[in-house]
Order: sequence, then structure tokens, then C-alpha cells
Amino acid sequence: MTKSSPFSVRGRHAHLIMRDEREISIVRRQLNRLGMSVTDPERPVGPTSAVDVIVLDADSVSIECDTTSVLKANVPVIALIGTETPSRLKWLLDLRPASFLIKPLRSAGLYTALVVAFDCAQRRSEEAAHIEKLEDRIRSRRVVFAAVLRLMRGHALSEEDAFNLIRQTAMRHRTTIEQLSAEIIALGGMPNRGSRTA
Amino acid sequence: MTKPSIPLGLVFSRSGPYAMMGREMEKSALMAVDEVNQSEEFDFNFTPHLRDPAGVVPAYHTACDDLIRERGVEHIVGCYTSASRKMVIPIVERTERLLWHPARYEGFESSDNVIYVGAAPNHTVVPLVRHMLEHVTGDVFCAGSNYVWTWETNRVLREIVTNAGGRILAERLLELGETAVDHIVREIIDRKPPAVFNTLVGESSYAFMRALHEASVRAGLSIPMLSCSLCEPELKIIGPTASVGCVTSSAYFESIASAENRAFVARWKARHGTDSHVSVDSQSTYVCVMLLARAIRRAGSADVASVRRAAANHRYDSPQGPVWVDPDNNHCFLTPRVARSVPGCQFKIFWEAEAPEQPDPYLSNLDLAAIGAKLDKRTDAVGKRAPHLRVVK
Repeated sequence: MTKSSPFSVRGRHAHLIMRDEREISIVRRQLNRLGMSVTDPERPVGPTSAVDVIVLDADSVSIECDTTSVLKANVPVIALIGTETPSRLKWLLDLRPASFLIKPLRSAGLYTALVVAFDCAQRRSEEAAHIEKLEDRIRSRRVVFAAVLRLMRGHALSEEDAFNLIRQTAMRHRTTIEQLSAEIIALGGMPNRGSRTA
Repeated sequence: MTKPSIPLGLVFSRSGPYAMMGREMEKSALMAVDEVNQSEEFDFNFTPHLRDPAGVVPAYHTACDDLIRERGVEHIVGCYTSASRKMVIPIVERTERLLWHPARYEGFESSDNVIYVGAAPNHTVVPLVRHMLEHVTGDVFCAGSNYVWTWETNRVLREIVTNAGGRILAERLLELGETAVDHIVREIIDRKPPAVFNTLVGESSYAFMRALHEASVRAGLSIPMLSCSLCEPELKIIGPTASVGCVTSSAYFESIASAENRAFVARWKARHGTDSHVSVDSQSTYVCVMLLARAIRRAGSADVASVRRAAANHRYDSPQGPVWVDPDNNHCFLTPRVARSVPGCQFKIFWEAEAPEQPDPYLSNLDLAAIGAKLDKRTDAVGKRAPHLRVVK
């Protein structure tokens, strides 16, 4: 997905999971004003990749509803809330709504909810990518440690010097410490790319 | 036979910080009411109920509450600032009344209980910035009042300008009503920007334009200024020399040459004096009352739902040209214009849209690429000197 401003909502696609005709017409009208397209609430949900945001009436969806698979995807959810009972809110929290609107609906508020939802979705996906990177690093810590040990033994280096050598070589080779460590283990020593003279 | 009477709420601040505009708008509303009442084309009279919230925001709520409860008013013409409108919206929505709003505003709103007769941002900011990029410069110095209208106008300006390869050189804000402008004027004279974008309002703007004019003359500079709010009565206040030469966008100027407008201006001057001037907001207030009267006539009732339906797409050949309500968002189709202020407290119009433009309160149809592309083309023609290219007309 290209990084787009959360403020520009034109051309994005909303899927409505709502029952009340009056509320649907308010949401649909406001989305159309904003240049967004809307999936008919009656139609079954297609592939979620085509949906940019889900507007969900938290009061009218039963807890066992089969929309849960859609809601588990990384599409941001705007919850429309009428009943503020803790039991209902607990169910809602599990869906991790990106933003919400309190009923009765008016035209004001939906744009803010959309902007917050798109911003939230973008931050979440950036955070997820960041976490994945960190987890990769943790996973490869064993590999880095093994490579450090190999250099310590092979070149009679201290642990600190061995690690610095890996770090500096990785920088010169424009690769990651983890990647270089894997190569060191595979080759039994520091790979020679001819760039060490650089 | 006497005509039946329909109560009409008029909520304008005749006193307080923007009393000048409030008085002008109220005068215009009353002129329209008299014309409706004297016309045989309408089989009803308006009974105006005047309220003066004195520019105090909560007083707008009190005024409207009183009009609705005590006077049985279905329709209210009024408000000037966004803060006052946002104070009134909850009560007209709750009681299902209609607010007819004459002033231009920054957009991003569409209440079913407001008819937005003033310009949307696509009618004012966008044509002005387009003109600036095509004929003046891509690099601009912004001076504005520190409130929502400036913030949003500058946001749109920045988005269009940076997308086209131009730059916002500075953004200087003054508190509303502040008239200590010397530090901004000094900075402008020092930096000599290719253009100044002025979103100051009221006394701040008048003081700024006078001081910048004086300093420019002393320094032998002529820096183009752009505004999307300046109007004829303000030119008179600013003064005969400092008010000249400001490129201004608006849906209405007193100098529009149509027969409808000439007749309107003549009626206005007959009523308010030959040295008085019609402003965009007072003309728009007149249009509010006329759109309402025509919708009531068409609906055969003042009932809000019927009037809203009757007003939709019902064309009125107003002083500013054809105007009609877009039922998609309750804003009006208007004709954007760009003009230059000239001696005699007038504007010389040098561009206007070929037809009334659909209102786009959320700027969801703003095509940045189309506006930016034009600057690029000129850049190519002159040679690649972007991003600090100045195209002189």
C-alpha cells in the first residue's frame, strides 16, 4: 500500500455493516460527499483488500456474526455506538476499533472518524513492520553470537572487537549485521567481497 | 387582502468586534424582506425578528433558542463567524429548523439544517491560488489572523503550492483584532517575498495593508498581495492608496456588470446612500432571503422539509449571477471570480468561471495534479529553474 495522507479520503472504499436505513443513508450520503465509494450492506463482503475502512454498527451486529473474519483483517473499523453497556463495549474492544461515532448520527463527525481511522491504520501497519523487524533481530541474535564467537576464536579478538568488526564490515558491505553473521557462519570466516579496501 | 405573515429570524451582531459586517448584513436582509413584502410575486410577508448577539458566541445560542421557542421561527438568516454557526447548528438540528448562512467559510461541514449560501473553499481559495501560481509566483509569504479560517485556508494554500513546486516562505499569525503589525511588515520589507497572501481579518488587515503600503513606498518596493476576503466597504476604511492593487477572489463584487446587479446596486444606494458600498456578505445575505422566499413560494409552505426540497436545484438569477442549492451538500452553486482592487473602492474583475461551480465543501474533487501541472509547464517554457522560479506576468 502506498503511503497516502489520512486527510485525503477521496477514492477510498468503505464497507458498511449496518442495519438501520436512516443511518445507512446518512453515512452513505456523507461518504459520497467526500468522494468515497460504498459497498452495499446487503451484499456479501468480497476480498478485504478492496476495502479501506469498515463502518460497523456496534448495536446491530450479533456477536456470533460471520463478519468476524473480515474484522480480523487489517482494515480499520469505525464503530457506531448507541449502547454503552460494558458487555457490548468489551465485544467492541476485541475488534480494536480505530475510531468511533456516538449515535444518533449527523453529517458532522464522520470525516474526523475517517481521518483518525486511516491515520490509526497507517500507524498500526508501521508499528507492525517495526515489531517484525525487531523480532527478526531477536531471532537472529543466536546467529550473531555464533559469528562473534567464530571471529573471536579465529582471529584471537575480544568479544567487543569481534562485534565491532562485524558491525563495520556490515556497514561497508551495505548489509545487516544479521545477514553478515549468517554468511560468516556459512563460510567459516569473514566473506571476502573485495570491498574491504574501499 | 393582507398577506399571511411568516416570522423570520435575523441574527447579526450589530455591536461587538465585527459589528461593521453585522450591520451591513442586517441592512441587506431587511432590504430583501421589504422587497418580498412589497412584491406581488409573493403571497406572504416576512415578519423579521432581529437579534444582536454582539459577537458573543454563546449569545447566538440564546438568540436562536428564543427565536424558535418564543417567536415560532422556522427559518433563521444569520451568523458570520464559524464559531457562531457551530454554536447554532445543534439547536437547529435538534428542533429541525433551517439556518440560512450568508458568509463564506472554510468548509468541512454539511449540516442538513443549514443552507450554505456563502462560498465554499473551492469557490474562493482554489481559484486565487491557481491564479497566483499561473501569473504571479509559487513562493509566498503568509500573514493571517490566528483562527480556523486562516489555518484551513493556509493549509489548502500550502498543499497546492508545495505540490506545484512552490514554497511557503513564512506563515505569520496575529491574534484577532491585533493591530501591532510592524514586525511582520519589517520582515516582509527585509525578505522581499514575490507575493504576500493576506488572510488577516478586520482591523488587523486594515492596519497591515496601510503599514505595508507605507513601508513599500518608502523602500521602493511593489509586492503583490492576495486576499480571499477583502470587500468594497473595507477598501474605503483602508484608504484610497493602501487599498489599491490587492488581487482578491470572491463570488461577488459590486462591479459585476449584469443588469440584475446594476439594478440591485442602484436600489442599495437609493436606500443606504450613494457613498455606501455593497459587500460580498451583504449581497449574500440578500440572496439568502430571496432563496428562502422563492423556496417558500415554490413549496407553498414555510415547513422546513418542504422548503429544503423546494430550494434544491431551484435557480435564482441573483445580483451575483445564477445561484442554486446543491441538495447533495446544502451548499450553493456560485460563480468564482478574481479581481484587483482599484481606486474608488472598487474591484476590476479580470477572471470569472464560465458557469456556476458546484460547491465542494470537503475539497474532495480538488485535482492537485491539474493545478500543479500548469506551473510545471511554465517552468519548462522558461527553463528548469524550479523550485525558486518566479513567473512575472
